[in-house]
Amino acid sequence: MADAAATAGAGSSGTRSGSKQSTNPADNYHLARRRTLQVVVSSLLTEAGFESAEKASVETLTEMLQSYISEIGRSAKSYCEHTARTQPTLSDIVVTLVEMGFNVDTLPAYAKRSQRMVITAPPVTNQPVTPKALTAGQNRPHPPHIPSHFPEFPDPHTYIKTPTYREPVSDYQVLREKAASQRRDVERALTRFMAKTGETQSLFKDDVSTFPLIAARPFTIPYLTALLPSELEMQQMEETDSSEQDEQTDTENLPLHINTDDSGAEKENTSVLQQNPSLSGSRNGEENIIDNPYLRPVKKPKIRRKK
Amino acid sequence: MPPTGLEPARMNRKKGDKGFESPRPYKLTHQVVCINNINFQRKSVVGFVELTIFPTVANLNRIKLNSKQCRIYRVRINDLEAAFIYNDPTLEVCHNESKQRNLNYFSNAYAAAVSAVDPDAGNGELCIKVPSELWKHVDELKVLKIHINFSLDQPKGGLHFVVPSVEGSMAERGAHVFSCGYQNSTRFWFPCVDSYSELCTWKLEFTVDAAMVAVSNGDLVETVYTHDMRKKTFHYMLTIPTAASNISLAIGPFEILVDPYMHEVTHFCLPQLLPLLKHTTSYLHEVFEFYEEILTCRYPYSCFKTVFIDEAYVEVAAYASMSIFSTNLLHSAMIIDETPLTRRCLAQSLAQQFFGCFISRMSWSDEWVLKGISGYIYGLWMKKTFGVNEYRHWIKEELDKIVAYELKTGGVLLHPIFGGGKEKDNPASHLHFSIKHPHTLSWEYYTMFQCKAHLVMRLIENRISMEFMLQVFNKLLSLASTASSQKFQSHMWSQMLVSTSGFLKSISNVSGKDIQPLIKQWVDQSGVVKFYGSFAFNRKRNVLELEIKQDYTSPGTQKYVGPLKVTVQELDGSFNHTLQIEENSLKHDIPCHSKSRRNKKKKIPLMNGEEVDMDLSAMDADSPLLWIRIDPDMSVLRKVEFEQADFMWQYQLRYERDVVAQQESILALEKFPTPASRLALTDILEQEQCFYRVRMSACFCLAKIANSMVSTWTGPPAMKSLFTRMFCCKTCPNIVKTNNFMSFQSYFLQKTMPVAMALLRDVHNLCPKEVLTFILDLIKYNDNRKNKFSDNYYRAEMIDALANSVTPAVSVNNEVRTLDNLNPDVRLILEEITRFLNMEKLLPSYRHTITVSCLRAIRVLQKNGHVPSDPALFKSYAEYGHFVDIRIAALEAVVDYTKVDRSYEELQWLLNMIQNDPVPYVRHKILNMLTKNPPFTKNMESPLCNEALVDQLWKLMNSGDDGTYFCKLKIK
Repeated sequence: MADAAATAGAGSSGTRSGSKQSTNPADNYHLARRRTLQVVVSSLLTEAGFESAEKASVETLTEMLQSYISEIGRSAKSYCEHTARTQPTLSDIVVTLVEMGFNVDTLPAYAKRSQRMVITAPPVTNQPVTPKALTAGQNRPHPPHIPSHFPEFPDPHTYIKTPTYREPVSDYQVLREKAASQRRDVERALTRFMAKTGETQSLFKDDVSTFPLIAARPFTIPYLTALLPSELEMQQMEETDSSEQDEQTDTENLPLHINTDDSGAEKENTSVLQQNPSLSGSRNGEENIIDNPYLRPVKKPKIRRKK
Repeated sequence: MPPTGLEPARMNRKKGDKGFESPRPYKLTHQVVCINNINFQRKSVVGFVELTIFPTVANLNRIKLNSKQCRIYRVRINDLEAAFIYNDPTLEVCHNESKQRNLNYFSNAYAAAVSAVDPDAGNGELCIKVPSELWKHVDELKVLKIHINFSLDQPKGGLHFVVPSVEGSMAERGAHVFSCGYQNSTRFWFPCVDSYSELCTWKLEFTVDAAMVAVSNGDLVETVYTHDMRKKTFHYMLTIPTAASNISLAIGPFEILVDPYMHEVTHFCLPQLLPLLKHTTSYLHEVFEFYEEILTCRYPYSCFKTVFIDEAYVEVAAYASMSIFSTNLLHSAMIIDETPLTRRCLAQSLAQQFFGCFISRMSWSDEWVLKGISGYIYGLWMKKTFGVNEYRHWIKEELDKIVAYELKTGGVLLHPIFGGGKEKDNPASHLHFSIKHPHTLSWEYYTMFQCKAHLVMRLIENRISMEFMLQVFNKLLSLASTASSQKFQSHMWSQMLVSTSGFLKSISNVSGKDIQPLIKQWVDQSGVVKFYGSFAFNRKRNVLELEIKQDYTSPGTQKYVGPLKVTVQELDGSFNHTLQIEENSLKHDIPCHSKSRRNKKKKIPLMNGEEVDMDLSAMDADSPLLWIRIDPDMSVLRKVEFEQADFMWQYQLRYERDVVAQQESILALEKFPTPASRLALTDILEQEQCFYRVRMSACFCLAKIANSMVSTWTGPPAMKSLFTRMFCCKTCPNIVKTNNFMSFQSYFLQKTMPVAMALLRDVHNLCPKEVLTFILDLIKYNDNRKNKFSDNYYRAEMIDALANSVTPAVSVNNEVRTLDNLNPDVRLILEEITRFLNMEKLLPSYRHTITVSCLRAIRVLQKNGHVPSDPALFKSYAEYGHFVDIRIAALEAVVDYTKVDRSYEELQWLLNMIQNDPVPYVRHKILNMLTKNPPFTKNMESPLCNEALVDQLWKLMNSGDDGTYFCKLKIK
């Protein structure tokens, strides 16, 4: 019941716009329900003493009624789910009504009022049939330790796996071939993408797409990209370096070995080096011993010194 | 009053080397240069100089100084206002009204203009009148202090501003400025006596933005903030007397690196490049040690600075106690090819610190001594660092270069002596420029001049031994260093100037040998020797009849008379013979030591004492001669064309241990396309012990031979199986091993072989499909992931190889090149080039070597008619803002296009760039390329050659303030 109300609410806005040409069963269902509601509203109005009403006001009242009922359904559903049930009980509805500010005590009296009109039950329309999902295999029954009110197992294909094994490729030639073509494909795809999304140049006037060249774009500081190794290369260098220590890295490590002895002692002098932020902190210890004019602090102008 | 300046100059020559007498009527003792404002936005400089001079003549009333493009505001002498005139005749070399327009006229006018401001003739652009109040003071030869306020706006030379147009402060943008120029061009940025012979002490002050560093000559005494703390002033003192021409400056937001081995050495580079700087300079201390050891003399200055800057004028420029390098020399540890080149640049600049900066020259005609000595000791460093093979290879290369140049243009004169100044006495009348002044030379001539100078020094060494040679250098240095510590009053400073006569006297004192004939032949006279040699073996007399002819009538040649060494390898060993080359003797009989007896199995002794087994079946049964070499030690500046049989060249290639001999035989074997030559070359290629450069040239020779014998060639294409064996996987021979460049020799060979192979052609004169597939596979399977080194040069050479494989397209007359009629092989090549070029945008390679190769390859495809010829792509890559190597490659293509398609529009575009490009190096390079590959030549009808162009070029030359415009002249 609550479900029906919820769907009615949700569907109402859609039905209005498409009521005329609606032909499918779901729409028919909603239409019929709405018609019933309209009858209800009209009878209530008659009860209240109206003789006639504009169509627009009836529509508005219908809408209000529908949303009120929908809200009751939605809210009742929440209460029932809150207590871990799937079907709302009477008390859920009562709590809902109370919550919505409705005096429940007046309800029995209202129901028994003398002048109430009885309207015929709405014609039975077919519930919209939700197309059945394609089932594959048989759903498993619950094992004994799972209570039966728990949802059913999903279709087996969603959780059953069939592992397959393939021989790992170990042939050198195939591996190289694969690596090469993979890289080439990636590169080609990447460059093509870049060419497609940016400006291009072409070697042929009649065809700009077969050999697209990414347009040459001048740099503001061209030497940086030209000289600095790319991040990829840096990464490679680190990898190869860690695997094989050779002379070249030894020389670079030299100062590092030295400063392990005295780096701590000379920490307070680091301010001297502030003019030269590029020097790594780890080398400070060694640099301080060096008396190089470019490392000396910049002097303050003379007048300030006098102060 | 007549100008007195010229008289001492003439006296100087007569007096010879009895001390140096200045051509100027005063002596400079000290100069202050203070630049207190540098504006990067406007590219301007404001400052003053103060020169302390002592008059040497009583009636000195005019003082001439050098100054170019500076605006002079005010001149004061001893605080008195002084009148001055500024006139620079080089701004307009030939006056407008003159109708005459030929090279000769221009050259004379230009020489006259340069001469009119030459400090070594006592002249200058700036003429200052000594105020009359001081005349009495001058007559007593008392000190004068000349204070000049000047400014410089948008300098065209001398100082070069690099201001990248990005956001941020100048320091954040990496803006920098540095001094540059050719020879003595300090006058471009401050008034001075711009001569290498006027030495004085210096005080240099530069006020710069607080985030910047000013690097200059001498010791940094202190750095002081200005009052607003936004700027700081760098105070430098240079107490060693130094010529103004050796003063330099570099200002920028440099990163500072103190050399970990020598704390008095400091390196500077632009932001973000510090890791590269660390690696690049980590080697410098070894060069220091080497020079100090051989010269037995400490480095003369108390400190040394290297600065690496962008848009460099030249790769290396040496100044007193500092050198300015191109930032493009910096490299990381992953780069192989650049490392030796950069080290060579470092070593070169350091050699010039001793000879060139510390020791200066008396006059332009003594330049060869400085260039010679610095080049010579640099050669010694090469020998020690890269080995004897590399050294001999280099000497051979330099010798070939100078010989080719002299034969082409007609002689390089090291020590020009200018007589009465009459046109007839002009020792260089064959040239289109005057050699009287460094500024009137063509760039190429000067390069060759330096090359010849160091080769002549080597000849002197051959004559007097290296020991004596080094003693002479040591003597020059110790005299100079004693003099440098003296006060000005002692008149000792001229000891720091070297002159030809002084140098020669020193040689004769130290060695006791007379080298006058040698000097006369190579220094006082231009030209090289051209020998033609052939021989016959006289079996009866067991004598080798050698005939040596000379060509001394062609331009650039001279007659050689004197000893000539000939080495003959016989069955019994190697024998040296010294022949006397005389006027009329052509034939020389050389007795052979061994009888022809090749049946005996015996090892054959070589020159170096080694004994080897040889297969003697190829040789002439009647003759014991294996091979003959003329002047094996390269002790004459010569070209030798020697005839001997093919098998002799093959023996020489296989068994002679001297790399020069091997290289000569490779060159000779090109003319003998036989299976035996092929075998000899492949054997050399495979020999691990063989010098890698020899093996590399063997590759190209083998390709040529293979092409000549294409109809009889059997087996796979040349070098393919060799390459497969050396560099491909054992199990799958079509796949190259993953890169491992730990062995540089094989790296270079691996790089070169495909390039040479791509030159192979089949009977249809096409590159064999097999070769192309092979190269494409190399590219495909190239895998550098496990390599310690970058493969950018390798990949670039693979593209070069692809370009080499391209042959002219078969075209139906003037068919438009479209994609549809593209040759399928070319399509594959183009596919690779496109991918490489595009990948460069995402993952740029070091120095963009790959882009450079791609651009060249595209031009090759255009030229061969596979792709429509179109300069648009190259023009976009030639624009300012691309890396300089890319620009040059692109410009080369445009220049080539201009020539092939005779495009007036492109020529105009190039000329426009020559006039307006911000980078002087590029401007110079375009001119250079245009002369090397001229769009039209003198005798050719071309639509490009019209009146308007002549007009334009003439204007360009006439207003040029840069000597480099000279090259262009040849086009006309």
